[in-house]
Amino acid sequence: MNPYLAGILLGFVLLASFYLTGRGLGASGATRSVVIGAVTTITPEHAENSGYFSKYLGDNQMKTWLVLEIAGVIIGGFLSGAWAGRLKMRVEHSPGISKRKRIYMASLGGLLFGFGSQLGRGCTSGAALTGMSVMSLAGFVTMMAIFGTAFVLAYFFRKNWI
Amino acid sequence: MNTRVILSIILISFGSIAAILPKQKTSSVQLDADDLLREIRLETNLVSTDELADLLINLDPGLLLIDVRDSLSYSKYHLPGAINIPLNQLLDEKWMPYIDQISKNNIFYSNGTTLSSEAWIVTRQLGYKNNYVLYGGLNSWFETIIQPNLPGAMATSEEINRFNKRKAASMYFTGSSGASDMNSAPALPPVPRKKKKRVAGGCS
Amino acid sequence: MGPLVPLQNISNELNLLIAFVIGLGFGIALEQAGFSSSRKLAGMFYGYDTTVLKVFFTAAITAMLGLIFLNFTGLIDLDIVYVNEYYVYSAIIGGIIMGAGFIIGGFCPGTSFTAAAIGKIDAMWFILGSMIGIFIFGETFVFWKDLYMSGYKGAVKISDLLGIRDGYFALALILVATLMFWVAEMAEKKFKREDITKEI
Repeated sequence: MNPYLAGILLGFVLLASFYLTGRGLGASGATRSVVIGAVTTITPEHAENSGYFSKYLGDNQMKTWLVLEIAGVIIGGFLSGAWAGRLKMRVEHSPGISKRKRIYMASLGGLLFGFGSQLGRGCTSGAALTGMSVMSLAGFVTMMAIFGTAFVLAYFFRKNWI
Repeated sequence: MNTRVILSIILISFGSIAAILPKQKTSSVQLDADDLLREIRLETNLVSTDELADLLINLDPGLLLIDVRDSLSYSKYHLPGAINIPLNQLLDEKWMPYIDQISKNNIFYSNGTTLSSEAWIVTRQLGYKNNYVLYGGLNSWFETIIQPNLPGAMATSEEINRFNKRKAASMYFTGSSGASDMNSAPALPPVPRKKKKRVAGGCS
Repeated sequence: MGPLVPLQNISNELNLLIAFVIGLGFGIALEQAGFSSSRKLAGMFYGYDTTVLKVFFTAAITAMLGLIFLNFTGLIDLDIVYVNEYYVYSAIIGGIIMGAGFIIGGFCPGTSFTAAAIGKIDAMWFILGSMIGIFIFGETFVFWKDLYMSGYKGAVKISDLLGIRDGYFALALILVATLMFWVAEMAEKKFKREDITKEI
């Protein structure tokens, strides 16, 4: 789909979210709910003692707005991929690196992003995209930091992509 | 013309329109005209002088009398425990905690019913609750409570009862215990109404 | 008047259902934009694919204009709509770490779920990594707590900070974005990599 068109579509989804619920989109919060859910199931006291996780404890970790939204994202992505014929189990990597290296990179990137999203109080969907549309300064600053850093570091990781 | 150009033109046009739009202070709690008219006609906002006398005699803690006349009139005479918010200052910042709150019942009063009704309409339209109007104002207060009319010879027992109550109230308000409270004003502003809460959001 | 859920006292269950439906739209939009491919996302930083820029800014601007118009017609109360709270150090340092994660992993959380949904194994590893990253943050929180909580400025809006109307900022952003779209298209021609763009 034409990227501009996809952008407009995404913009309308975001607007609908604002009109219906007063909040925008998000993603990292859902991952956090899953982590807390897992920790709570395994060692409940640990979650309560933790300075950070204890803030998010509730009756049911998985019954939060973001988790439901991400469930929708997964199914929506699947449907869209199925419709466009893009469904395929594979490791997508540049021919210049091996599959294994790609998996290492993805995991490391994920680790950094997970950590960063908690410290930064949001990710590109929640802070940057949603933040930009409500003109929040926090969203703007976070977005500049993310994209700025990525641009600066791009040179050092070019072998992984190009 | 490719997508980018078309999109840019559309966006810049909309953006220009948006730039001209004034900032709307939308308040989701404001009343529209229909609701306001309905409430006015129901007259549930009116408080009679008898009712007020009862509240004052029983030292009702939830009561706050607001005198909306000018300060000169207020200083000459005001109802016991009343504070003075002249009508032209009604929407000043410093009075907000008094008129926009949910813990006390405010009764606006003036000499008649005009000024107090005006105060009520303005605050009710903004969505503020717990504001009332003293029907008849100070004029009625004097006629009914301070110097109640003697019931005539053909009076019903109800009218006689009411007269007696008013006579007692009159003595209360003009007697020793009433007079000392005459010129005191309450010290603390009431609890302000809970502000609209922002929705939780982001990645939290 | 909107937002509907807080003002119309909509039940939590219905709110969650709405979340799911919105997620569906989100996932479809992301996948249709092609964001389920890490090479497409990373292409933004090497110039051969600027889809990220186009989609991101178009979406943000569309929603922004939508909010301004809805507010003007009295259909939405902007005081209730969520505005991110600004914690100076969190935003900047968290953003830097996320930027590193982005260029190394090639995903962000939202797109990783979309990609995993169509079978990308590297996206699944990204998700796993992010869970570990979150866990690590929680465990070591004691070291970051002061940094995390410092520099609180409240829910600052840029238009308030600059003292301009929302609409002016929107127009300014649109003009900047239009400029960036032009630059992006030029960059795509200059940094062309047919071998990659054909695949993704």
